[in-house]
Amino acid sequence: MRRILFMMRKEFLQIFRDPPMIGIIFMVPLVQLFVLAYAITTDVKHIKLTIMDFDKSYVSRQIEDAFSHTERFDVVSYTSDVRVIDQQMRAWETQMALVIPANFSRDLRRGLNPQIQVVVDGVDGNSAGVALGYAQQILADYGLSWATSPRHFLVARDMHLVTMWPRMWYNPNLDSKEYMVPGIVVILLTIIPMMLSAMSLVKEKEIGTLEQLMVTPLRKHQLLLGKLIPFLILSYFELALVMAFAIVVFQISMIGSYTLLAALSLLYLFTTIGLGIFVSTFTGSQQQAMFFSWFFMVFMLLMSGFFIPIENMPKSLQALTYLNPMRYFMYIIRDIFEKGSSIRFLWRDVIPMTAFGLIIISSGVIKFRKRIS
Amino acid sequence: MKRKLSIKHSMIVSIARKEFLHIIHDPRTLTILFLMPILQLTMFGYALNLEIQRVDMAVVDYANSTGSREIVEQFNGSKFFHLLPYEGELDQVDQMFKARRAKVVMIIPYDFDRQLLRDRQIPLQFIIDASDANAATLIRNYCSQVVNDFNQVHNQKLPLPFDLRPTIFFNPDMKSTYFFVPGLIALLLIMISALLTSITITREKETGTMEQILVSPVRPYQIILGKVIPYVLLGLLIAAVILLIGIFLFKVPFIGSLPLLTLLTLLYIVTALSLGLMISTIAKTQQVAMMIALVATLLPTFMLSGFIFPIPSMPIVLQYISYIIPARFYLLIARGIILKGSTFYNLLAPTLILLLMSVILITVAVRRFSLNLEK
Repeated sequence: MRRILFMMRKEFLQIFRDPPMIGIIFMVPLVQLFVLAYAITTDVKHIKLTIMDFDKSYVSRQIEDAFSHTERFDVVSYTSDVRVIDQQMRAWETQMALVIPANFSRDLRRGLNPQIQVVVDGVDGNSAGVALGYAQQILADYGLSWATSPRHFLVARDMHLVTMWPRMWYNPNLDSKEYMVPGIVVILLTIIPMMLSAMSLVKEKEIGTLEQLMVTPLRKHQLLLGKLIPFLILSYFELALVMAFAIVVFQISMIGSYTLLAALSLLYLFTTIGLGIFVSTFTGSQQQAMFFSWFFMVFMLLMSGFFIPIENMPKSLQALTYLNPMRYFMYIIRDIFEKGSSIRFLWRDVIPMTAFGLIIISSGVIKFRKRIS
Repeated sequence: MKRKLSIKHSMIVSIARKEFLHIIHDPRTLTILFLMPILQLTMFGYALNLEIQRVDMAVVDYANSTGSREIVEQFNGSKFFHLLPYEGELDQVDQMFKARRAKVVMIIPYDFDRQLLRDRQIPLQFIIDASDANAATLIRNYCSQVVNDFNQVHNQKLPLPFDLRPTIFFNPDMKSTYFFVPGLIALLLIMISALLTSITITREKETGTMEQILVSPVRPYQIILGKVIPYVLLGLLIAAVILLIGIFLFKVPFIGSLPLLTLLTLLYIVTALSLGLMISTIAKTQQVAMMIALVATLLPTFMLSGFIFPIPSMPIVLQYISYIIPARFYLLIARGIILKGSTFYNLLAPTLILLLMSVILITVAVRRFSLNLEK
């Protein structure tokens, strides 16, 4: 036990001897928190809109107003030449054009069903789809209010319209931060422990101090424990720091149990530290270790549901996500934060996550012991 | 004079050769460098879909009447919704959401049919699990579409007085893969140029071989050029691989001019390399270099360049930050040329900004690098 403590002291000294590293260990999470919490939004706003109004009537101006009065669209230019729109789109100056044909309002009054054309830049498929949806919504609303206005053919009295009363649970303001920030906690508990443990083990190999440690009376498990416990402690510090920031600065509501969160985090750290050990066994340099950890990281992240919802993926990829330990922890953390789920609802995720953690860390340790003996 | 020149050249060439051997001797890193973009491309191509495909909806039908069955049928017929019967009491909605069995619950009141005949507005309650705000917004929109369709059927007099004809330019099927191929090129080039160069230079510092080079008669700019050239080539090679896979496997249309793309890609690589050089003058160890590179280049390139998330939707502070990210401008260039056939004239603004950035970065980086060497 004393030996492990000595080893841990050495490890802490080594970490704290490197002030930029410490700064980075604690700065990286905060920068990430700030950027990720605000940048990730699939909401589409301020779509650049060009208007081609060949009608120039009261009605066409009302339609234009309907578009310019939302923050969804920014009217950037008016033109009467289709070629201009093509050029503007190539230069990224506009994303959408609204074409109101000549005699639009006259045809409308005569009930001839005139056509409004919406031209959209489809390069960003997701945004284009959303933008088209907004345009449709605005035009449909306008059409309805036009048709039901007293001067026109529909009389409101005859209509029986079902209207939606949506109630948003857990996050009534629809603030995406509430969902992203807990996800960032998961990412941090993945990156930092994995990279730090992998790189620190490989560094000893690279500069040859691993051999020196092995000829000391230190046993292999003592060596490993002494090296890894400091990272566990550091990861918990990190967790506390990020949680504090999330709750105090970002005002994220955490309605679940802190004890449960801390306990399940420990289970998850088995996985990430285990992956770190694993990476260190088949890499020879810090650069390689970094690349491999990064490689794992990217795929775990993409397949975790962090910003690409798993339900949206094709079936085969969805099946693949069950092999990703991060997937389970992502669900767990978000549910604890937002819904206050108790362990009763989380078993489904906790069991596979623990299984992965145990398998990964034990196979990592076994490989590492083989490697150094 | 001519001999001197050739000595200079041979110095650069031999450093470049040494660096090249370094790269070749590390097949694992090389494998990852090639494998990563290919796998990412596949995943982004197939997995990245921000539109919801299927929403599990629980229906509480207190009416159990003709009208209620009609609206349920309307939801059933929409490809977005997967309906499941609701079991138990209404106060168990919370448990249903916690167990993730449903994302939305529709509650039809018992006198739904009577209201449908009598009232002008019939409220219909939807309880949506909004823990994922983006998904909740989409679910609400889908529900409102279905409700609108129901209204259209039920109110014969409600046709829209005009039609809407959407025309989609450049990417009529709105495939997201098209969008990601240029994005991945930008991401990968930053990774190779900024990350790898900063690491290789700090490695020389860490292992002490930098001093050995310094006592040799090599000039700083020769070291820089020699170390950087192999990575430029590697970067171009990987960019070409991504582009070819995109074109042949994912059928991304390449409309614009290849020479123009190559030229502007080189400009971007130079910008990224000077960024890497800058990092190497700040960092003393590989770990630090890596962490800085991660925070200063990869993360912002991924998150703030418009690679996935639209910049205009971000808070204003982040939008300002995005102006100092080279990838933001390179993305406009690459996507413009590849997908829209934009000309040099169309892309003048982003090109000039990128040029300005690289000039500033090179000047600062080279100055700092030579200062570091003299110390």
